[in-house]
Amino acid sequence: MASTSAETSHPVVFTTQTAYPLPTQKFMIPTSWKRYQLSQLVNKALSLPKPIPFDFLVRGEILRGTLAEWCTEKGIGEEETLDIEYFESVMPPQKMSSLPHEDWVSSVSCQLLGYFFTASYDGNVRAFDYSQKLLHSAAIHSAPVTSICLVPSSSSSSEHLVASASHDLTARLTTLTLPSDSSQPVQSQTVASLHLHTAPLASISANSSGSHLLTASWDGLIGVWDTSTPTSDEVPADEPTERKKRRRVEEDTPRPKRKAPLSVLKSHTARVSKAVFGQESAAEHAYSCGFDSTVRVWDVENGVCMNTIAASSKPFLDLALTPSGSSALVCSTDRTVSQYDFRAAETNITASTASLIHPATPACIAVPPAGAEHQLLTGAYDGVVRLWDLRSTKSAVTSFRSWDGTEKKGKKVLSVDWARGVVGVGGEGGVEIWRVGEGEGDRVLPS
Amino acid sequence: MHSEDEGGDEAEDDDDSEADEFPEIDTRSDSEDGDAYGSTDEEEEEDEDEADENEDAGTDDDDLRIYPKPKTVISDITGQPKRVYPEIEPDYDSDSSTEDTPNRVGKIPMHWYDDLPHVGYDINGKKVLRPARGDELDKFLETVEDPSAWTSAFDKNTQTDKPLTEEELDLIRRLQENENPDAGYDPCEPTIEWFTGKGKEEAMPLSGAPEPKRRWVPSKWEKQKVMKIVRAIRQGRIVPNKPKTASAQPQFYAIWNDEPSNVPAPLPAPKPRLPTHAESYNPPEEYLPTDEEKKQWEETDKEDRERDFLPQKHGALRLVPAYGQFIQERFGRQLDLYLAPRVQRVKLQIDPNSLIPKLPSPSSLKPFPVYKALQVSHDGHRVRALSVSPDGAWAVSGDEDGHVGLWEVMVGKEVKRWKFQGKVGAVEWCPRADVSFFVVGMEEQLHFIIPPNLPTPVLIATQALLAPATLPPAPATLPPAPATPSPVKWVSTAAAASSSDSPILTLNLPPSSGLPKQIVWHRKGDYLSTVSSGEGQGGVWIHQISRRHSQAPFRKVKGSIQLVLFHPTKPHFFVATQRYVRMYNLAEQALLKTLTPGIRWISCMDVHPSGDHLIVGGYDRKLCWFDLELSDKPYKILRYHTRALRAVHFHPTYPLFASSSDDGAIQVFHARVYNDLMTNPLIVPLKILRGHAVAEGLGVLQVRWCARQPWLVSAGADGEVAVWCS
Repeated sequence: MASTSAETSHPVVFTTQTAYPLPTQKFMIPTSWKRYQLSQLVNKALSLPKPIPFDFLVRGEILRGTLAEWCTEKGIGEEETLDIEYFESVMPPQKMSSLPHEDWVSSVSCQLLGYFFTASYDGNVRAFDYSQKLLHSAAIHSAPVTSICLVPSSSSSSEHLVASASHDLTARLTTLTLPSDSSQPVQSQTVASLHLHTAPLASISANSSGSHLLTASWDGLIGVWDTSTPTSDEVPADEPTERKKRRRVEEDTPRPKRKAPLSVLKSHTARVSKAVFGQESAAEHAYSCGFDSTVRVWDVENGVCMNTIAASSKPFLDLALTPSGSSALVCSTDRTVSQYDFRAAETNITASTASLIHPATPACIAVPPAGAEHQLLTGAYDGVVRLWDLRSTKSAVTSFRSWDGTEKKGKKVLSVDWARGVVGVGGEGGVEIWRVGEGEGDRVLPS
Repeated sequence: MHSEDEGGDEAEDDDDSEADEFPEIDTRSDSEDGDAYGSTDEEEEEDEDEADENEDAGTDDDDLRIYPKPKTVISDITGQPKRVYPEIEPDYDSDSSTEDTPNRVGKIPMHWYDDLPHVGYDINGKKVLRPARGDELDKFLETVEDPSAWTSAFDKNTQTDKPLTEEELDLIRRLQENENPDAGYDPCEPTIEWFTGKGKEEAMPLSGAPEPKRRWVPSKWEKQKVMKIVRAIRQGRIVPNKPKTASAQPQFYAIWNDEPSNVPAPLPAPKPRLPTHAESYNPPEEYLPTDEEKKQWEETDKEDRERDFLPQKHGALRLVPAYGQFIQERFGRQLDLYLAPRVQRVKLQIDPNSLIPKLPSPSSLKPFPVYKALQVSHDGHRVRALSVSPDGAWAVSGDEDGHVGLWEVMVGKEVKRWKFQGKVGAVEWCPRADVSFFVVGMEEQLHFIIPPNLPTPVLIATQALLAPATLPPAPATLPPAPATPSPVKWVSTAAAASSSDSPILTLNLPPSSGLPKQIVWHRKGDYLSTVSSGEGQGGVWIHQISRRHSQAPFRKVKGSIQLVLFHPTKPHFFVATQRYVRMYNLAEQALLKTLTPGIRWISCMDVHPSGDHLIVGGYDRKLCWFDLELSDKPYKILRYHTRALRAVHFHPTYPLFASSSDDGAIQVFHARVYNDLMTNPLIVPLKILRGHAVAEGLGVLQVRWCARQPWLVSAGADGEVAVWCS
């Protein structure tokens, strides 16, 4: 190997979980090497046809400087053998495009290939395509929309169901017809409004099959809904709001049907900030977090709380499940993002396995849809979106600042969504589209 | 002075001069034999008495010396014995130092010169030639011819035969005869009876006892003692020849290491008073007593005089007479020293750290706000009014430009904005849970606004409360009786026509009442009180929502009323004037107590949710904590701000309170109040939150806590409203 140089070298054993393993043997690595040289070494040793950049975890920490610096910082002698794990490194995020909005964007969704859906504080839900063109703007709500969710559908028709939650105490289901031909206009029709909550809604989310919805509200309730359109009003209309509704109904021809929940999950004692369904393996489970510093696991069928993880004085703002579904990532107002393992939580009460410390309030979390188990994105109130690796909790892997250069004070990031390497960042300054992570998105992203 | 030397060097001189007298010596008596130098002259001069002879006998070692022997004679003049040395004849024989010793090689083995023609060197370095020595026949002939040849010996130094001196011959003779070789030894010396003899008989003989055995048998106990030491040495308990380092090296010790003795230190003597100018022999004129003073001094008793002398002026020091009071003064001084009360005041030995109260560390008192999570801008207009909804989710802030914004506490997004004419003086949410509205205090007007997006039951209840359909408000709008001519007009919009865009109810306060500085709600949400800045009647009004009635509780008030507060549990009402806080019972219409915070100008006030404690802040930077059960005086005065206090607020549920000041800082305190009356409240300063800019000398104008969360909302003069999260 390249240990022939005169300078000091360090015994190192490389391990990896990627598809590019090195033989288990001890390498003598010059201590002045950085990530770049190590990556070159792995590439050369494997004689990869196309160079793949790697990142290196030295004892669970991502190597930032030279090996010597790391060793002196940790006080590790030259004789000790270091275990270095490597994985394919994350490309520096690139800003792809910007979707300007007049008002703050509370939620962004890029789950549908080729489109972005944004929900804004002006009550509109907008659809953009990848060429930053505003396809449609639907004034679904009269109050700020807090959350948007594209209901996954198995059929590949051009009709898509969009669920939105708002400050006006309702969530609405809207069908969006996205024609394949871009010349035709996009049609939208609000088919149902979900009436349960007595306080503004915080989030809405659908399960992976698209059959059920969960709404979380400030009144501490979680509503479970199906996505079918009711034929008639299931909830009687309220008298004083009727007049306003009627006026708007005159504009949109069919009035949305008032829909009642399947069941209500009650156990939170304060505002519920997020409620999501589990993955395919645990589709009957729901997970929620709230301002009462608890993360709860629900059995949706029976409507009971199965498990409660109680932290102390950590009002949680957002929750995301890791791709394996075994643990939850929650961000709280004490500027941390914590990872709670449900399996460990059954034995001991609060088992925070990782805690990522932010300089500002983290408001939203996104995890990649599949694959990278350890990665997550957080958007914070200082306008910085950070990419973390759960194996290296000291500092973020990489970060980028949205809406840069406008002010010294960052604009708040209120929502991030991550799919196929595309990250939609919504917040105070509108929406920005970034490309993060390894290159599946290359094919679909516009130039 | 060894005899060898003499034998070597000096014998020659002696035998040269005194060879003739050798037989004389032989014949002499023993007592005179040592007198080698005894020339005939000396013997003739001195009659030697016995003492001299004895002395001679004692010192006859010296008889071979080259210097003359002194005689001790009794001086005629003094009568004392004196030494007399013989006269020296200044001829060549008298001094041997002038004799030349031919060979000067010194005391060396002479066989070194055996093969040489000379035997050494003289004093000038010339060779001393070997003297011719005859053969055996010559020797024999010499012995025959020379009668003294048989008494001569071979001198190696000069390589010649030398005749022996008479002393040497005498020595040889004594040895031959087995006599004592010392010539001066007298074997038959007469006995000197020192202790015995006539007149010296002992009265008691010493002992006639036979010699005891212990005198010649080895001592047993000595042996035991020695064996003990020997055993100790063997066992190593005694180390012989142990280096005595301890004693050999100087021993140092710190003299200050000793504990200070408890004996009181010797008291210093009281110091006499130092003289002043008045005691001077030539004092300045102003010290000289006038005639009246002199007279007065003379008339007063001696004990009552301020000073016991009169200053006098003398032209020169020599004109100063003797001090007449000298003896008296010395005596007084002695009395002072003798009778001085030597009481030593013991200093209290108190560790200053022990006086600091033991406070729990702030980290153990979490949660409390530590950082600024977000801020909402009011475009640089001073935000004086701020209120957080009872559920802690919404905040309303009003600035001096007339804008009132409604925004989410956790996101900071303003969802609704109202514009009014003039400054917004105060904003307050109604504390009721079943209705939801807030009051905006404008110039001479109070606007009641319903926030948007309310659930329908709440909205209906609110509308029914603020704009009842039947409109019963006879007492306020239509004054039927002149006894209660309330100048406050209640104007409400019809519930059907109302929206959240405009106020549903407006109270027109009497003209020239000015800007309402403060709006406070009673806990039940039916009464609210306003304090206006205008003149006349102090501008205090209590409005009742359900009866749509306003009244001024105070007809005459001493001082201008700054603030009012409702007691959270009892029908009590706090009224703060500039300096005092008065507590009234509204039901009995009586003054309960007057609190004196000691603040020159009260700026803010809040009451603990339990109702037993009150905090009052002032423009003179003080914050006073009153325990209402305890005293009219502050239980604690906190002076941590560097500028005037602007707002204080208790958290409704957490044991926290915050104070804001013109120095741009917010201070968060932990304030735990105990239920039992014995334990004092625990106040711990937790955190200073900085982040607001000071604009035109004004800092943070308002602080409010969020219900249910340990979050703080603060409004600053820099036009920013910040949310501080834990």
